[in-house]
Amino acid sequence: MNSAAVSTSSELPWADNAKVLADVSEIARDQLAPAAYRIDHEGYYPIDIMARLGEAGAFAGHLDQYGTRYGLAVGSMHEISRHCGSTGFMTWCHDVCGLYMEQSGNPALLARLPDHAAGRTFGGTALSNPMKAFTGIEKMALKAKKVPGGYSVTGTLPWVSHIAQGQYCGVIAAVDRDDGSRSHEIMFLLDIDERVQLRKCPEFSGMEGTSTWAVPLVDYFVSEDQMIADPVRPFIQRVRAAFILLQVGMATGVIQGSIDSAREVEPSLGHVNQYLHNRPDELQAEFDDMKSQADRLLETPFDGSKEFLVDVLDLRARGSELALKASQSALLHQGARGYLMTSAPQRRIREAHFVAIVTPALKHLRWEMAKQMREEVPA
Amino acid sequence: MSEQNTDQTMPWRQYICRACGWIYDEEEGDPDGGLAPGTRFEDIPDDWECPLCGVTKTDFELFERPEITVSDQPIQFNREPGIVVVGAGIAGWSTVEALRTLDTTVPITLVTACNGDVYHKPELSVAISRGADKAELVREDGHEAAKRLGVQLMAETFAVGLSAKLRQLRTTRGSVNYTKLVLAQGAKPVLPAQLPPSQCWRVNDLAVWSGLQQALAKGKQSVAIVGAGMIGCELAEDFARTGHKVTLLDRNSSPLAGLLPEQAASRLVASLDDLGVTYCGGVDVANVTELESGKRIIELEIGHSIEVDHVVAAIGLVTDNRLALEAGLDFNRGLAVDSQTLRTSDPHIYALGDCISIDGMSCRFIEPIKHQAQTIAHAVLGHDTVEYDHNAPVIRLKTRAMPVVLHGQPSATGVWRTIRDTPEELVMEQHQGDKMICHLKVGSSSQNRAA
Repeated sequence: MNSAAVSTSSELPWADNAKVLADVSEIARDQLAPAAYRIDHEGYYPIDIMARLGEAGAFAGHLDQYGTRYGLAVGSMHEISRHCGSTGFMTWCHDVCGLYMEQSGNPALLARLPDHAAGRTFGGTALSNPMKAFTGIEKMALKAKKVPGGYSVTGTLPWVSHIAQGQYCGVIAAVDRDDGSRSHEIMFLLDIDERVQLRKCPEFSGMEGTSTWAVPLVDYFVSEDQMIADPVRPFIQRVRAAFILLQVGMATGVIQGSIDSAREVEPSLGHVNQYLHNRPDELQAEFDDMKSQADRLLETPFDGSKEFLVDVLDLRARGSELALKASQSALLHQGARGYLMTSAPQRRIREAHFVAIVTPALKHLRWEMAKQMREEVPA
Repeated sequence: MSEQNTDQTMPWRQYICRACGWIYDEEEGDPDGGLAPGTRFEDIPDDWECPLCGVTKTDFELFERPEITVSDQPIQFNREPGIVVVGAGIAGWSTVEALRTLDTTVPITLVTACNGDVYHKPELSVAISRGADKAELVREDGHEAAKRLGVQLMAETFAVGLSAKLRQLRTTRGSVNYTKLVLAQGAKPVLPAQLPPSQCWRVNDLAVWSGLQQALAKGKQSVAIVGAGMIGCELAEDFARTGHKVTLLDRNSSPLAGLLPEQAASRLVASLDDLGVTYCGGVDVANVTELESGKRIIELEIGHSIEVDHVVAAIGLVTDNRLALEAGLDFNRGLAVDSQTLRTSDPHIYALGDCISIDGMSCRFIEPIKHQAQTIAHAVLGHDTVEYDHNAPVIRLKTRAMPVVLHGQPSATGVWRTIRDTPEELVMEQHQGDKMICHLKVGSSSQNRAA
């Protein structure tokens, strides 16, 4: 399926960025868009469509093995989110899971990476809780104890997406000393097998097809083959900006989809829509400006500087703000037809809210930026 | 003393120092300088000096807080979101005052990382020996000043992103659109890796200074100041006068290298020595670490180390280029601005104060700020142009034991001529052809003589 036109990196699978984006875009438009309502409302988990997206190269671009093309990974996520925010979110879950597997350097996990990258196997991420725990917002949910040959883990994660029996996700657990004080944290790939009984989550206002479950673990044994990082903090430090940066594709897709919806009704409703705020041209200008910032940052996802992290947090925050503004505007532009249960604009309002509340939420981003910007002084 | 002067029914007046902005209040007097509370300005002797910068009363003018009328703010449902000012130091507040004086209705938003309290930064380097604390240095509460001037104050808010094309500033409390943007964000102390922020105090804003002030208030302690520039020398004297044991370190052999000739620098070193300050020149700091006792160890490149209670970094200031980089503004050791209009390379963005550079030179002094604020206020409101005339300000070192006054800009390689050299006073000049480019006076302070 590689394009013959590209010669420089032709050994890489999915070497031609334009071809990958065109294929992903076509699958999103022809297969995902018609299923968006079922995914959002009826809990249809579109694993079949995701397999086709994986085959087209949607989940591989950011991985070093496939050329560290963050622009391609985010571009694919953008095309997917433009038609279905839920699948856009699962694309991010899947992408960061691949990032953990590859960055672990663990040969057992590297051996599993090609299947993951191609969408032949699926896995998500359960880092919302530990990410918040590391910045002091909440407590760690999982506890690990050293046992011969690995660790034993107990605790419950409240909701983890894009998982199912036979799938997996990246997980972090705290290791405490005998006196109860914190020693360090470990990260591993949790294989969801017969030892894990996934529990149903309460019904969400949308995005029901993201296969989101509570994960209770009781003395779950983690082997060396599953280890991603021990200790985990230096690892998280290294991948943190990339982790957040990848989410930008969800925001840009929802924004672009909203602008598309506003434009769609311009011929019939433009004469009254001219009285609205946030017209599609204004939103597009704001989006283009944000996109140029994103393109610049996507070039250096592993820049470890504080300045870069603040840039990424800023980009992610403005993505949330603009998604909220654009989705609201799209519904107003479409009027009653946008308010229909099956319409995209009303779904996107919920998707935009999700972009703004999923970890790191808009409030956490601002909180973290303020923390990074504050001057450190002697104690 | 005339009848009129002692008339208690006449309201007390205030006079502002044109050089440094210190305010003389007749009601309070200047007890440290020998002026009892209630001393009228006319009764101040001619040889009295500004306690902050050392100029005499002829450099003071009557200070009247401008009565600024604020009308009700129109609801901001329009395409002109108004003027946004970043930074609530002297530059930011001066801009706001200048804007409000010219226009009572234009919406103004002030975005600042600090709490917005109004204070006078030059006082920080001499405040500890005067027994001042944070509360005493705050001239007006930020929220009260905002209310008085009809400004929306976004305090404890960091500006993190700037899109010049969209005229949008992004902050840690959301995005703000602007018609015109004024950057008055100041400069930050330089902290190389050898001087970690967790180990070194800096004196560049009230909040951090206050931490140091509280730490030093616990009793006589030892302090090392790294960097013997203007701030370093002033702080050394300030701490020594309070009874702390001060070591002043600099990589150059003399303090204020490049600014003062050796003859002048040695007088300064001698005066610091008289106050108990140990000057240690020609040394580079390799590292600063903390002991379990809380003491700090400064390791020097030459091998030995110094143990002290506190380390203060004073090696210079640098402008943060974050917003400039992102907005694509010209940046040259500071936000590059036009020398007459103070406009940056973007037509809707102006800048003033410590964050700017004119022809590649920064200018971090108080005196020009009010003129800069006037120029910018007229420009952003579309009033008649008030051109800014940039001149090298007079440099006054607030070292009371050995005042230093420097007019003009000395050339590091220029030849100094001695004009007068007496035990009380040293006067030197630099000339270029027939023209004097620089005049330096060291010593001859009435306070010094009285001391």
